[in-house]
This record gives sequence, structure tokens and C-alpha cells, in this order.
Amino acid sequence: MALTAPPSGVTAPRASRRRASFVKIAPYVFLTPFYVVFLLFIAGPTLFAIYLSLHSWAGLGSFSFVGFDNYTNLFTNDDFHAAAGNTAWYVLGALLIVLPLSLGLAAVLNAHGVRWKGFFRTSFFLPIVLSPVIVALLFNILFDTGTGLVNGVLSSVLGVPPVGWLDTPVWAKVTIVLVLIWRYTGYLMIFFLAGLQNIPRELYEAASLDGAGPFRQFSRITIPMLKPVTAFVVVIVLTGTAQIFEEPFILTNGGPGNASLSITQFIFRAAFQRQEFGLAAAAGVLLFIVVFAISRVIASVFGIGKESQ
Amino acid sequence: MTAVSYREDARVTPHRNKSRGRKLALIGTHVGLFFWLIVALTPLIWALSGSFKPIEDIFVSPPQIIPERPTVANYTDLFSTVPFFGWFMRSILIAGGTAAFSTFFCALAGFAFAKYRFPGEKILFNIMLSSLMIPFAIILVPLFIEVTRMGLSNQYIAYSIPFLIPAFGIFMMRQFIVSVPTELLEAARIDGCGEFRLFLGVVIPVIRPALGALFVWFFLTVYNDFLWPAVIVSDSSRYTLTLGLNSLRTAYSTEYGLVLAGTMLAALPTLIIFILLRKQLIEGLTAGAVKA
Repeated sequence: MALTAPPSGVTAPRASRRRASFVKIAPYVFLTPFYVVFLLFIAGPTLFAIYLSLHSWAGLGSFSFVGFDNYTNLFTNDDFHAAAGNTAWYVLGALLIVLPLSLGLAAVLNAHGVRWKGFFRTSFFLPIVLSPVIVALLFNILFDTGTGLVNGVLSSVLGVPPVGWLDTPVWAKVTIVLVLIWRYTGYLMIFFLAGLQNIPRELYEAASLDGAGPFRQFSRITIPMLKPVTAFVVVIVLTGTAQIFEEPFILTNGGPGNASLSITQFIFRAAFQRQEFGLAAAAGVLLFIVVFAISRVIASVFGIGKESQ
Repeated sequence: MTAVSYREDARVTPHRNKSRGRKLALIGTHVGLFFWLIVALTPLIWALSGSFKPIEDIFVSPPQIIPERPTVANYTDLFSTVPFFGWFMRSILIAGGTAAFSTFFCALAGFAFAKYRFPGEKILFNIMLSSLMIPFAIILVPLFIEVTRMGLSNQYIAYSIPFLIPAFGIFMMRQFIVSVPTELLEAARIDGCGEFRLFLGVVIPVIRPALGALFVWFFLTVYNDFLWPAVIVSDSSRYTLTLGLNSLRTAYSTEYGLVLAGTMLAALPTLIIFILLRKQLIEGLTAGAVKA
């Protein structure tokens, strides 16, 4: 695949030399736009975040160096504690409920003899193309304690008294996890589905000739063969839900109290409502470190990264 | 319950028993699928039908799927009480422009990684991949300060900044361009085709479906985003759709018909694009994950 200059003699020598030298620099030219954007808007701000997290700055005036004060302040900040705990619940909810559910749906949809596969796949995927703002606005109305459809159905079908989906501390977190389930299950399903379709049929045929039943085949063939896709999906879910913002912002505004506040929402408030830019930056850096460390652990548990590329 | 449950096998179980079991499993499978279909679509159908009802009928129990007294008042109110058209056009233009820009440059960078061998390639590739690990939450605050200092807050150009040339797109484009036959490129070179013309004339046409998928994904990302515009835009005459919808919630919290009509109209372009290009989009998104 290595590139060589076009054979000389076909074109005039000078033009050919010029072209040969452009072949050498072409990849760098093609990559320049990305690296300019990367330096200006990703790497630069990341370094600036670390710098900012060691300083106190209220939006005006100069930065004053405060060492690790912002970090120690975070550890004693009640709102940050609540935000970290809630975000952990969202991530766990997504990993422990959405992930198995999407794998189950994919397995069901991939089964022999299932009809309207394309229709189901498209319909299940649909929620993810809607803005989280739209979703949160709809669920805000659907989960209203007094007038919402959910409580209406629950009380008329099961006779249950109205549940305070959005205004009691525990239910507020549950509702946000429900929104995550609704929005992400069909999206993650398509990755598992693609993974399932990639498993060679012969493996199952050989296994069933050897007398392995469906459950044995699932645990011995399907699960191990899905390892790379699962690792990929786990990382998407982790980095996505660790930064959850719109759902708590619109559904509950982090409430009641700070019972459903997320870390990104904490950063938003610290920076843009209280002008504590250093504290906000420190929370961002901490989030990054934790997410990065967990992703590394997941990558090594799933044994990926070694044979990558 | 799984893919493997219904495989033919030549075991000794009596035939009739087996096929009855299979039939039951298949029925169970479809029950499960229809259950999730209802879960996924009910909120949308409820909202769509509610947007055509007068406010008194929206919360009637049992809910009416087909409005008994259909009205378009919610939609006409939307255009007369808030600048919905402006929000809508701004979102469409910003998302379309950003997606076109990013798709083009992702493909160009993906081409470089897929079809050239050059010194520093490995380091550059790893730097590109490492940018995937940086969560937006860490750069939100410093990027806001940077953009404000550049004098770009409330400027349309600033709306695009976090969405320019994402590494994920480069990675996906590389996966697709790798499979473009190198002989095709060599043949064009011998015909005197320059490197950039090679990209435009040979690579782009071959990967067109993947480009479409990436464009749609980028469009949806920008069109749907809320956090960045919420930070960078303070001037309400420059609101995008998501900011506008959120302002509806705070200003007209009890006018549910208005909110429902707004969300349905906002969802319309994404639904149209998705339904037209669903196959490319779903296959394009998963190709990177499975091949990688």
C-alpha cells in the first residue's frame, strides 16, 4: 500500500518530481485541519482546564494561584457529593439495566423466523434521534404527578396512588434512569445486533452437533464473541451518562433539593451561575480522571487495546 | 430467547414436541418485540395526538389516540406567540453547515490515515484516538472562556466549535476508505491525477453512502444539542430550537399544547432524515464498532 511516485517517463520529469514531493506531504496537508481544530478547541482547553482548576477566578480580573484548594473544596462540598453520587447511580442504572436489555432485544431480534425485523430495528432506534430536550419535555408532561399519563394509567389499571415521579428524591433519580432506558436501549441494541450478525454460523452448527443446548451455546459462543462490541458499548455508555445534563436539567432541575443533580449540571451552575470558574474546572478535571481510569480498567478486563488496529 | 434457540439440529427429541417448542418461543419473541415497540412509540404517539387537541382534551382519561375535536390552534399559536420559525431556520442552517464541513474534513483526514504511509503516522493516529477520551464536560468551561475572549459569544460561528471534525468521524471514514481498492488510486495517479483530485474524484464517489451516514449523524448531534448553545448564547433573538423549546417550558409551562406542538415540529426534520436514511445510518454507525 506504500505510495510511490508515478513511473517516470509517463509524465514529464519535472512535473513528476513535483508530484512525487506532493505525494509525500499530501497526508500532512489532509490532516492539518483536524489538528488545528484539535489544538485550538480540544487540547488547548484541556490544558487550560487543568490550569484553571489550580486558580481562583470569578470571570473578571486576574487568576490567583490557589494550589489544590478547588479540589479540597470539592471534597467538602455537599452539592458536589450529591452530584457525584447521583451521576454514579445514572451510570450504574445505564450499565446494569440498559445494557442487558439492549443485548436481550438484539438477541430476540436476531432470532430465526422473526418477522418485520427492519421495522422493529428502525422503531427501536428512533428515540435516540430525538433531542434530549424534546425527550425531557415530553417526559416532564408524561410523568407529572397530578396530570401525567403514567400516573393516570397506574391509578386506573392498578389502582395505585399517584407517584411523585419528579418531586420526591428517590423517584426523581428513578425517572431519569427510566428516560435513559427509553432513549438508549434501542440505540445500543444496534451495536449488539451487528455484533451478533458477525458471529460465524458454523460455530453454532459445530456446537449443536456436539450436543450443546441453546444456553450453553449462548454462554460459550455468543457472550465471548460479543466481547469487543460489549467493551465498545460499555465505554460509550460510561462516557455518555457520566456527562448527563439535559435530562436532570429539564426534568427536575436537579431537584428536589439536589437529589437528582448531575456532575455536568454542577459544573454548569458553578461556572455560569456562581462564577466559580476554578471550582467548575476542577470538577471537570476530576470527572475526566475518573472516567478515564474506569475506561482503562474496562479495556484491560475485556483484553482490548492490545490487538487494536 | 436467543439467536441460537431455533437452530435446526438433528437430535433425538420427537419432532412434534420440538416444533411446538419453537412455535412457542417464536410467539414469546414477538410478544417481547411488540412490548418494546409500544414502550418506544407510546410517548411519541401520545404527544403527536396531543398536539392536535385543545388543552382540555390532552389529559382526558382514558386518553384518546385520535383527537375527538382536532385543532391546529397549538401550531398557529406557536408561530404567533414565539419566533419559532427563526429558531427552526437557525438550527437547520447551523446543523447543516457544521455537518457538511465536518463530514468533508473527516473524510479527508480518514483518507490520509487509510491510504498513505508516512513518518509520524502512528503518533498522529494515537493523538487522534486519544481525543475521543476527552469528555466535553472538562472543556466546557475553558472553551467558553476562550470563545468569549475571541469575541465570538452569540456569533453563529461559535455555535459550531465543539462539533468541528470529531475524531470519531475520522476513525469511521478511515474504516470505509481502507476498503477502497488501492489499484483504483494507482490507476488514477498514472493518468496524471493529483492527490486532492484523487480524493474528490475517486474516494468520495466510492464512499458516498458512508458520507451520507456521517453527515446525518453530525446533523443530528448539532441540531439536538442543548448544553453548548445554553452556555454560549445569551441573546434570545439568536436562540436555536433547543434553547427556544426550553424557554417555552419556563415561560409557558402550563400551555402543554404549545409545548407539544413545538416538540413535534422540532422532531419533524430529524424524523424525516432518519426515516429516509435509516439503513445507511445504522449500518454506518455499527461498521466502525464491529470492524474495529
